[in-house]
Amino acid sequence: MLPLGLLASGEQAEIMGIRERKESEPCECSKNKHRDEQCRIEGMGIRIGKRIEMLTNEGRGPLLLKVDESRIAVGRGMAMKILVRRNEI
Amino acid sequence: MSAESISEVMRDPVRPAAASLSEEKRTITVAVAGNPNSGKSTLINAIAGTRLHVGNWPGVTVEKKEALFEYEVKLIKLVDLPGTYSLSPYTQEEIITRDYLVHEMPDVIIDVMDATNLERNLYLTVQLLELDIPVIMALNMYDEAEKKGYTIDSNMMEEMLGVKIVPTIATRKAGLHDLLKAVVKLVDDPSSHHPKKLNYGEDIESAVSAVEKQLKDSYPSLAEKYPLRWLAFKFMEEDEHVQSELKISGDVLLIEDAVRHLKKAHEEDMESIMADARYAQAAGLTREVLKRPELRKTDLTEKIDRIALNRFLGIPLFLAAMWFMFKLTFDVSKPLGDWMNALTFGPFKRWAEALVGLIHAPAWMSSLVTDGVIAGVGSVLVFVPVIFAMMFFITFLEGSGYMARAAFVMDRAMHSIGLHGKSFIPMLLGFGCNVPAIYATRTLENQRDKALTALLIPLMSCGARLPVYVVFIGAFFPAYAGTVLWSLYVMGIALAIVMGLIFKRTLFKGEAPMFIMELPPYRLPSFKSLMIHTWEKGKHFLIKAGTYILAVSILVWFLLNLPWGVESKKDSYLGQVGQVVAPVLKPLGFGSWEAASSLMAGVIAKEIVVGTMGEIYVKKTGEEQSAVKPAFTADLIEIGTSFTTALRNSAENVFSTFGISSLSTKEDEKRSGLKSVLRTTFTPLSAYAFIVFVLLYMPCVVVAIAMRQEFGTWKWFGISFAYQMALAWLMAFVIYQGGTLLGIGG
Ligand SMILES: Nc1nc2c(ncn2[C@@H]2O[C@H](COP(=O)(O)OP(=O)(O)OP(=O)(O)O)[C@@H](O)[C@H]2O)c(=O)[nH]1
Ligand SMILES: [Mg+2]
Repeated sequence: MLPLGLLASGEQAEIMGIRERKESEPCECSKNKHRDEQCRIEGMGIRIGKRIEMLTNEGRGPLLLKVDESRIAVGRGMAMKILVRRNEI
Repeated sequence: MSAESISEVMRDPVRPAAASLSEEKRTITVAVAGNPNSGKSTLINAIAGTRLHVGNWPGVTVEKKEALFEYEVKLIKLVDLPGTYSLSPYTQEEIITRDYLVHEMPDVIIDVMDATNLERNLYLTVQLLELDIPVIMALNMYDEAEKKGYTIDSNMMEEMLGVKIVPTIATRKAGLHDLLKAVVKLVDDPSSHHPKKLNYGEDIESAVSAVEKQLKDSYPSLAEKYPLRWLAFKFMEEDEHVQSELKISGDVLLIEDAVRHLKKAHEEDMESIMADARYAQAAGLTREVLKRPELRKTDLTEKIDRIALNRFLGIPLFLAAMWFMFKLTFDVSKPLGDWMNALTFGPFKRWAEALVGLIHAPAWMSSLVTDGVIAGVGSVLVFVPVIFAMMFFITFLEGSGYMARAAFVMDRAMHSIGLHGKSFIPMLLGFGCNVPAIYATRTLENQRDKALTALLIPLMSCGARLPVYVVFIGAFFPAYAGTVLWSLYVMGIALAIVMGLIFKRTLFKGEAPMFIMELPPYRLPSFKSLMIHTWEKGKHFLIKAGTYILAVSILVWFLLNLPWGVESKKDSYLGQVGQVVAPVLKPLGFGSWEAASSLMAGVIAKEIVVGTMGEIYVKKTGEEQSAVKPAFTADLIEIGTSFTTALRNSAENVFSTFGISSLSTKEDEKRSGLKSVLRTTFTPLSAYAFIVFVLLYMPCVVVAIAMRQEFGTWKWFGISFAYQMALAWLMAFVIYQGGTLLGIGG
């Protein structure tokens, strides 16, 4: 298992888990922000068990995933909290 | 399926139109909901002939919009809603959608699906079905799904969900009749609708019916206002919004008892359990009905993205695209603008004078018309071509899908100022007009991001500032027109980042929330929709010209001619005020009262800077006109031939954007009076300092009102006003004084 942010362009993987943001991290919205964020990424189709393909990972900046037929840009911070298992092709 | 619909017809023969009309003139309210960018607004435009804003990125519609029309003697009201991925809203525009669906209880929901993305769209459908409002599904983007080789068994899906499904292609108006027929049929005969109650598994179902029962017993009146099943789910999920709105806490409903074993069995909170259950439905359905080809080829979008999103090429490409856009804007519109200029200050002015002479109006009246209205409004109107050209390119950009890419490549830069890439989309929209850009901040996650983005938006140069740039660029830098124009827009972005850094350290501490955004496929906007939306954007400037620019022109004329009978404009009220302010602007290179007065009038709207200059300088230029006046018909012929020349020139310029603009600038040196006067009072350096000042000096009145509306306080406008004034002065100072020191253009 590795964080999504470390997956190289062109690699495929299966999503294994989504870690919550640490409480210590700055956050000033509602107390349920972590849950809201998780809801949002799940609503966009990034959820446990989903197979994804990394389209663009330039080592810095946001990355671009292919989830089913949609291309979803994810910030690097978030991507480090999504755990995946690389698929051997 | 077909047997059923035949019996329908038998049972409910077509009623005579007259009877049904007098019977009840109730409007059918149809909410149009769906994922972002699935084509909802396009669909409504195609059905009702409206011109709602469409664009190829998620989050175009940020406000509920209505379209009323008649279909088969029925009044139907379509309600366009902001797109959303789920009914647990995350951003403000999604809250609008959720609240509308829950509170207003439309008669029907048209669920617009992106057929290429079945599973994710079905996740929302499943939630819509919980609302107990009849749903009809428009399987939109059917063309794209077919192109990808997908086959969707819509009959099976209809059976599994119990809702009517109509494949549509909104951009080609395909399938819309069937969709409307389905709506009418459903309203005429509600019993024909048999939605399947989706089963979330025994555990959840028994829990929800327990809560439902509790709700019904304790709060009988709620059932009329809310769909009960939905409400029960929300209480189980401990939805804060619903709890605080109804002021019912979960304890009263014994929620804990109902969900305890669920939570224990799954070791998760209820919201996740519910999300999983819903997703399981969506995934199961997709598996049954969707067949996709084994081999997936890399499509064009991915190929383009490899270059457009490349870490080295991304930003340079964005800047190059912008440069190209401004260059084209300038070159294409130049000949037409010159033509309009010649028309306004040649024949039009003469005709107006002749008309005023005919009715024997007093001299002051004739001056009001020619030196006030024509000089003021006319000076602005001649920039209609350039504004429309700019709006055309912005519309193209919006429709192409590049907007979301620009947000992607700017994400890192935006991170440095505590925002993320998504904030860049409202900023880009600001290039057209800052007002919709302020409203577009709704797609951002929290108040902090919204306010910070809104503060930076006025630095994005809008269409109204173009006339000022174009006059000065035409007078001083015709050979580098595109580049100079581009430099102003880039300066706006650069300063936004600098100001963002300052704000982040002072007013807006904290980090950006997570960045997540869908990038749509690239699409080629159709010519027709380009024209429609260019017009929609540009027409505001025309309306403005006819209303408050006209009013201000008249006001300025009075201020220039009062106290009554002043000899020189310098001694008029406006001139006097200008003289008071001018010393402040002296270090910036434009310390004349004329410049000061124009800038003050431009507070209303920045085009007015040009209009006022037109009025101030009008006498000085008006002298040559005592020459022979051509006949009316000669005028007409001249207008016609010069227009065709202008058209030909701008068409030619499209194909040879590089270095051609000087070719068309030569023609009417004599007529473009304002430019030649400017050349005597400004130097290239002070001219550049002046346009930079105009770019920055303050948001216009309408933006101020928009900020007030969106944030409920004048605070942000106040801050924006203060920092922009300071920034404008500082930048113009640095440019002018720095340039003078270096000996540029002095
Ligand atoms: N190929 C194809 N493109 C479509 C179809 N319907 C809409 N589009 C395009 O999809 C894009 C999005 O359309 P909109 O109508 O703005 O989408 P929306 O659902 O209103 O989006 P939001 O307001 O952001 O939620 C536009 O570029 C449309 O031209 C369709 O049936 N086929
Ligand atoms: Mg829309």
